[in-house]
Amino acid sequence: MIQYASIFLFVLGLYGLFINKNVIKLIVSLNVMEIGLFIFIISIGYVGDNAIAPIISNTQDLGLIYVDPLPQALVLTAIVIGVGTTALALAIAKSIYNTYQTFDLDEMEESA
Amino acid sequence: MRKLFGLAITFALGLVIILALNNTVNFPAFGEVNLSERISGAYLSEDNVEEVGSANLVTSIVIGFRTFDTLGEVTVLFISSLGVAFILGRKKQKRMNLNFKPNFMLRVGSNILLAIILVTSFYIILHGHLSPGGGFPGGAMIASSVLLLYLADDRFRSNIKGFKLLEGFAGSLFVIIGLLGLVFATAFFANYLPTGTIGNFLSAGIIPIIYVLIGLKVGSEIAGIIDNFLTEEERA
Amino acid sequence: MNVVFLIAIPLLAAFISILIKKYASYLLVAVGLFNIAVLIFSKNGIVFIGGFDTTISANLLGITLLLDTYTRIALWVVNVLILVIAVLNIKTYRDYGSILLLAMAGLNGLLLTNDLFNLFVFLEISGIAAYLLSTSNKKPVSTFRYLLYGAIGSSLFLFGVVILYSMYGTLNMVVMIREISASNNYTEVILPFILMFIGLGVEAKLLPFNAWVKGVLGNSNVLSGPMIAGVYMAAMSFVLGRLVTNLFVFEGTLLTVVTLILVLGIVVGDLMAFSSSKVREILLFSSIAQSSIIILLFVNGLTIWAVYLIVANALSKTVMFLVINKATAETENDEVDSLKGLFVHNNIVGLTFTLAALSVMGLPLLVGFVIKLNYLTALAGAGQITLIAVILLASLIEGIYLVRLLVKLWYKGEKDLRVEYHFSFKMVFIAIALSLLVFGNYSTPLNELDNSIDTVSEVVNNG
Repeated sequence: MIQYASIFLFVLGLYGLFINKNVIKLIVSLNVMEIGLFIFIISIGYVGDNAIAPIISNTQDLGLIYVDPLPQALVLTAIVIGVGTTALALAIAKSIYNTYQTFDLDEMEESA
Repeated sequence: MRKLFGLAITFALGLVIILALNNTVNFPAFGEVNLSERISGAYLSEDNVEEVGSANLVTSIVIGFRTFDTLGEVTVLFISSLGVAFILGRKKQKRMNLNFKPNFMLRVGSNILLAIILVTSFYIILHGHLSPGGGFPGGAMIASSVLLLYLADDRFRSNIKGFKLLEGFAGSLFVIIGLLGLVFATAFFANYLPTGTIGNFLSAGIIPIIYVLIGLKVGSEIAGIIDNFLTEEERA
Repeated sequence: MNVVFLIAIPLLAAFISILIKKYASYLLVAVGLFNIAVLIFSKNGIVFIGGFDTTISANLLGITLLLDTYTRIALWVVNVLILVIAVLNIKTYRDYGSILLLAMAGLNGLLLTNDLFNLFVFLEISGIAAYLLSTSNKKPVSTFRYLLYGAIGSSLFLFGVVILYSMYGTLNMVVMIREISASNNYTEVILPFILMFIGLGVEAKLLPFNAWVKGVLGNSNVLSGPMIAGVYMAAMSFVLGRLVTNLFVFEGTLLTVVTLILVLGIVVGDLMAFSSSKVREILLFSSIAQSSIIILLFVNGLTIWAVYLIVANALSKTVMFLVINKATAETENDEVDSLKGLFVHNNIVGLTFTLAALSVMGLPLLVGFVIKLNYLTALAGAGQITLIAVILLASLIEGIYLVRLLVKLWYKGEKDLRVEYHFSFKMVFIAIALSLLVFGNYSTPLNELDNSIDTVSEVVNNG
């Protein structure tokens, strides 16, 4: 059930990407979409209410029930990649602003 | 019109995803996952945990079984920091002015805070194989200390050349450690150091070394990105 | 030699190259030559990274790379073309050395990897490298569009991969194929497959996910044009082709939808090229149509001819974009009319451009003809008469606009147009045109390989 919330965030971000014309808002929408995806990834690794974080202190602990560690590893990678893309997008946004003095894509096409 | 169209498309997509996942027998419901059906069941088995020797099982995947992904991840951060410098840092740069004049207390206080942040970040990096954390959050904390200095001191300018040097060396060492795996063992990124006892500080073979390198690299890359955003072209 | 060098050494060189910025472009050339040596001396097979496994079993812990003849052809195309483009631009685009090294590592990883999440990581590396290459066009808005579309595409791809992981509990492609065929319920995998197909379709320039192409390639230059239209398109088609042939199961309605999307891409691409008056737009719309044809061939199981078509197309498009972008760099305008008479003083360049264009059209004596004849025969054998009609119609439109373009470029305009092509450019043009001619007339080597160059299904069955 809670997975639907993450899918909602994902499509919300996608909606934002559809309708927005402002460069910064587009980047924010992209991040909303990515965060929805990250929550979805984490949610597929949830095993049950009695499961604990996958950190052990010795090998006897391995009998306990842990949540799936792989989605956590994947989401770590995905988040860092998202950070990289966002940083690059913001840098391009800054250079767009330096060129056109506006963040609005419609205004840019008029002036260009 | 465009808004309505977008709404319709995204609504339909969301509905399709939810319905499709609901009607898929193979897709486990939330909280009803059976790990023994997944590869993670093997990651949790005693033999494999001991083979890598990391107490934090997420770390044992990130820097153990899937180090190659992490190399790619570091590369993504590297290329985006390179790209930000490439796009923004062409001309001679000076740092942005703050809207206020930082007073003496702020400067001294931020220096004390800086020490605490740095110590914590190194703790987190060094204990990445034992506790939650590791190179990525630790590196981000190092970068946050640079951001703190930028915000609290209007004359501060970080040593970008030094960061570039650190970034290049840490990245190269990361790849070289992987390549040494072909020399001392049989595969790229093989763990050729003794793994020790699980839970000890000195355990898990090459994992802590790689995490330190990643921490330094991530810290210097994000610091470089911050510097590029907080500087502007010199106006004559 | 271990094929992991193809990824590790360019990465190492990229990390070192920011320490010695001045020599980055020389490092790039050295690494390019090294990669070709690795390609010559490496053996086909599976490489296990991390040394956790020795065979592909259901409990495959690490990441694996797979090198077979299919990947080898793809790697040859990518590495040789990047090397050629790098050498040609060694003076003009000095700063792009590190980025080209990363693009090389990313594309090699993309082609070699056998792990779906790893594929996503390399998709991002090569994608970001492509965004940075497109900044050389000095059009930040189109770069931004490219980045947005690329990020959405890779997010959709990741979504698909994660759903597949949650259903089958593995990320390895071979194990995944085994699990999917064991469960034998193909309606369940429609959603992840369509998400992944759209995600890669963005990069492979399939309609309607390719709105970024016009801005990026329409303003491209001698570096970004051939890189994105030649190298990236080839690599992305190879990756998508591998997934389409082996992983994706397109059946029933889904097959109709995918075929419809691709047919639409062919027809619309060629019609847009027909109606455009800018040379670069004509070329980029033509390459959109070509990439749809390529994926259509993969969907119909004609792997080998799709591979040849990718290679021939990458070579021709590299020549065409290099010729046109070099000329537009001097005229600063790519209307067909302003480039009239480009070849009057550049006969050799004109001849090679003409050969490349004729090969894309598929005229006899050139390799494009051999390929087209063979895949049309194979499609006829499979009873796909509608597809043949569509492709023939599209070829007719393509023929008209390319011949029109050629005529204008050969006939003298009002003003005398002089564009200097460096000797190295001419050498590359001649080499590529000669290879198009030679393989067009002596096609026996092409017939030696068949669909079995893609060995994923073999690995799935035998381990």
